[in-house]
Amino acid sequence: MLYVFKEGWSTFKSIFTGMGVTIRHFFSPSVTEKYPYEKIELPKGARAKLHVNIDDCIGCNLCARACPVNCIDIETVKATDDVDLGKTSTGNPKRFWLTRFDIDMAKCMYCDLCVHPCPTNCIYMVPEYEYSEVDRSNLVYHFSNLKPEMVAEVKEKAEQEAEQKKRERQEMMRKKAEAAKKKKEEQEKKQAEAKKSSNKNDNDKPSTPGKKDS
Amino acid sequence: MELTTILFYFFSIATIGAAAVMVFSKNIVHSAFALMFSLIGVASLYVLLYADFIAATQLLVYVGGILILILFGVMLTTQGRSFDYKTITVNLVPASILSLGVAALLIFVFVKTDWMISEVAEPDQTIYDLGMLLMGDYVLPFIIAGVLLLIAIIGAILMATRLSSQSIKNENIE
Amino acid sequence: MINFAANTTYTLPILVHAAVPLTIIVVYALVAIWGERKVAGFIQDRLGPMHVGRWHGWAQSIADLLKLLQKEDIVPKDASRFLFKFAPFMMFAASYAAFAVIPFSSGYIGSNINIGVFYLLAVTSLLTLSIIMAAWASNNKWSLLGGMRSAAQMVSYEVPTIATVLTVIVVAGSLNLMTITEMQAGNDILGFLPNWLIFQNPFLIVAFIIFFISILAEAHRVPFDLPESESELVAGYQTEYSGIRWAMFMLAEYADMLLLSLLGAVLFFGGWNSPFGDFMSGPFWEFFWFMLKGLLLVFVMMWIRWTLPRYRVDQLMHICWGILIPLSFINLVLVALWEVIF
Repeated sequence: MLYVFKEGWSTFKSIFTGMGVTIRHFFSPSVTEKYPYEKIELPKGARAKLHVNIDDCIGCNLCARACPVNCIDIETVKATDDVDLGKTSTGNPKRFWLTRFDIDMAKCMYCDLCVHPCPTNCIYMVPEYEYSEVDRSNLVYHFSNLKPEMVAEVKEKAEQEAEQKKRERQEMMRKKAEAAKKKKEEQEKKQAEAKKSSNKNDNDKPSTPGKKDS
Repeated sequence: MELTTILFYFFSIATIGAAAVMVFSKNIVHSAFALMFSLIGVASLYVLLYADFIAATQLLVYVGGILILILFGVMLTTQGRSFDYKTITVNLVPASILSLGVAALLIFVFVKTDWMISEVAEPDQTIYDLGMLLMGDYVLPFIIAGVLLLIAIIGAILMATRLSSQSIKNENIE
Repeated sequence: MINFAANTTYTLPILVHAAVPLTIIVVYALVAIWGERKVAGFIQDRLGPMHVGRWHGWAQSIADLLKLLQKEDIVPKDASRFLFKFAPFMMFAASYAAFAVIPFSSGYIGSNINIGVFYLLAVTSLLTLSIIMAAWASNNKWSLLGGMRSAAQMVSYEVPTIATVLTVIVVAGSLNLMTITEMQAGNDILGFLPNWLIFQNPFLIVAFIIFFISILAEAHRVPFDLPESESELVAGYQTEYSGIRWAMFMLAEYADMLLLSLLGAVLFFGGWNSPFGDFMSGPFWEFFWFMLKGLLLVFVMMWIRWTLPRYRVDQLMHICWGILIPLSFINLVLVALWEVIF
């Protein structure tokens, strides 16, 4: 009998304790963030979305190589001699046209590995997380600021220059080869003369055979 | 036609119709629910007769108590995998002869009796009078009925406890 | 008495008279469903619905109702069609019919009958039956389990409810809810306390606690919500229902909750009597006080819902048959003794 009363008392006590806790919470302010209307600031170093400051990029391809899922796709074209692409804000000279710099955020796994190799700190995470898309292909972000016709022009120019350089080099090579040939002939001539003279004079030393001319 | 008359015929037909469904339905749960409609119809008829206490008692005891126990029993005791609450008809010929005979007798009595017809009088206090009668003139039948129910309850408890203690013993032996 | 008009020209006024509780129920249900979500939110340090209707999402229930009205009305293939379709309306009709004897103010009561409380308890027993009907007709094992639990629970908890109502009737000496309310008028106890029954007899406080626990069980509220426990029985008898039929169930449940709370307010807290004597009395204020008392009890029910876990079936039965019923009968005797002595 006593046990029943004890048990009943403890039941009531626990119920009222619990109800006291809930009523305290009833009057305490809520912790809800009304999300679409107010957003909490992401903590420092949050990995949310990749961004490239294309003006600072030197096209070194280090980030693409660091990416474990190959979500960064870079295509560069060497700048021709007549244009000066300027320098980055960190002082590195830019030598490439960036004809393509695509990041596929659908593939990205937010590992942050591409951020650290960048010599000019131009690729980094931005606290922007509302970028869901209906079509997955919309998640590929194009950072290159060259217009398509510009890309074509640049490519053509670069090709021409490359062609020209190749031709120049070939010319040079040819000239070099001719020069080398001439020299060789001369040398042979000399040697022949020397032989003649050495035949006359056996004590004379032979001249060095592989003497170069540059 | 007065509203009361319309309601009377409506509830009468509902009561009889539900009773017929209860008897002829193949599904025992359907029968039980038809019984519910029938009992509610009877309660409504009591209301039309200004017998409000009886009407509420009808609802509370028959619909709220006994019928729920019937349904509970039907659903609990049906064994097996399928929920197949079928009723079967046995002794069709003698049963129909007997019921037709009873019906004929009732109709005969109903027609032959010289019914005393009185004006409808709305009583002020039904429960006061009922209580005085139950505790005054009819106290003996009232108490006997109570004792009878008590005996039934004690008997049921005794049977239940004996059964369960036996089964517990059997379990212990096993 | 239930008085049907002899002449059919009175039919329209009777219908209007009868529609008053319906309006109260529907408006209350919309407010209470929203309120329950807000209470749940606040207790869990959230905000609850905030969007629909600008100010604290007040129009959320209306939006939900419109959604439910548009939803498809699905009847399972193997269900018992008539009973399945009929059950929600019977349940709502039962809880609505019980409002007929609730005295909303000194100026309005649906039907001022002598057997008020008895009628109310009789009609609410139909709720159990409609739940069993829905449960069985759904032809679903969860529903059936919920229906069985509901039947066992309601049949058991009707006993302490009736026993505690009986204690009040012993003190009040009437079954008529209007009379019970009228005799609680005035502020005489200790000079300032209102003459409410709960202050008139110390054992009625115990009776009120038992009554409140029982109505929690009768209205299927936590911690006694076993028949519809959404986490184990997937809402029990409501599992197969959708659209407007489900809405009827919801409406009936909230109506039942309000009905039993209002009954508690009448029986223990003076019904429509103002707690300040003649101050703020009159038909409208009486309605205000009555609804306030009822809604406070509803709020306590919600508060308990978001505090306590659910009981097990055997614990539920033990609480009823082992504790509440003996206690309520002992209490009945003590209340009667107190009334005889003082």
